[in-house]
Amino acid sequence: MENNNPLSPHIQIYSWNISSLISISHRIIGVINILVLTFVCLWIFLLLLGETSYDYIKFFLQSIFGKFTILGIIWSFSFQILSEVRHLFWDLGYGFELKTSKITGLIVIFGSIIFTILIYLFGRNIF
Amino acid sequence: MMNATKKWIFLKASSVILIPLMVWFIINLALIYDKEYLDVVSFFSTQPSKFLTSLLMIVAFFYSSLSISEIFEDYIHDKKIKNVANKALYIFAVVIPLITIIIMFNLTI
Repeated sequence: MENNNPLSPHIQIYSWNISSLISISHRIIGVINILVLTFVCLWIFLLLLGETSYDYIKFFLQSIFGKFTILGIIWSFSFQILSEVRHLFWDLGYGFELKTSKITGLIVIFGSIIFTILIYLFGRNIF
Repeated sequence: MMNATKKWIFLKASSVILIPLMVWFIINLALIYDKEYLDVVSFFSTQPSKFLTSLLMIVAFFYSSLSISEIFEDYIHDKKIKNVANKALYIFAVVIPLITIIIMFNLTI
């Protein structure tokens, strides 16, 4: 049977607010995170090839770019975790009021940054 | 039950499993990313990290294939292109974690 469901309009016709920003970011970051996990799979594959092959990725990860990449990965995962929790609360019927939705949207943005810093510092044994 | 309902239930169930796994993964990523070869091999080849990483790969690729297929549903107009994109996505979501898990189970210190 022909599917005549309407397609989503292009995102640029909407006026921007916290909810739309989080919504589109959630989708984009979801795609980025699966690319990150594919990178992790490659990382594991290089382990199988031995120490010499692994040196290339180790050199990158120990560089300043590598550290920023890891920080970016931790942030994108933190963002998705918090955004997913927000979606689960919506699914349970909580948080639909406009004010609550704006507050939880801000929690996702700023919470993901705070999470990233805390997790990175924890990983570096600074706590 | 409609296919869309089943898809939604699978999506939500996998996201509930995925949240604690993602927290575990990023904490450990921060701990091991710049460690020496043997430390990283040791991490991925011993339990519970071997089991948790395998589970993360399966659930994350499953969840992503469902959510990315929704993006295809929303934004790809041509039905043939959409079908090809969905099939490619499902093959990718099965092959990549499967290869990774096989590799992890072959890793030895």
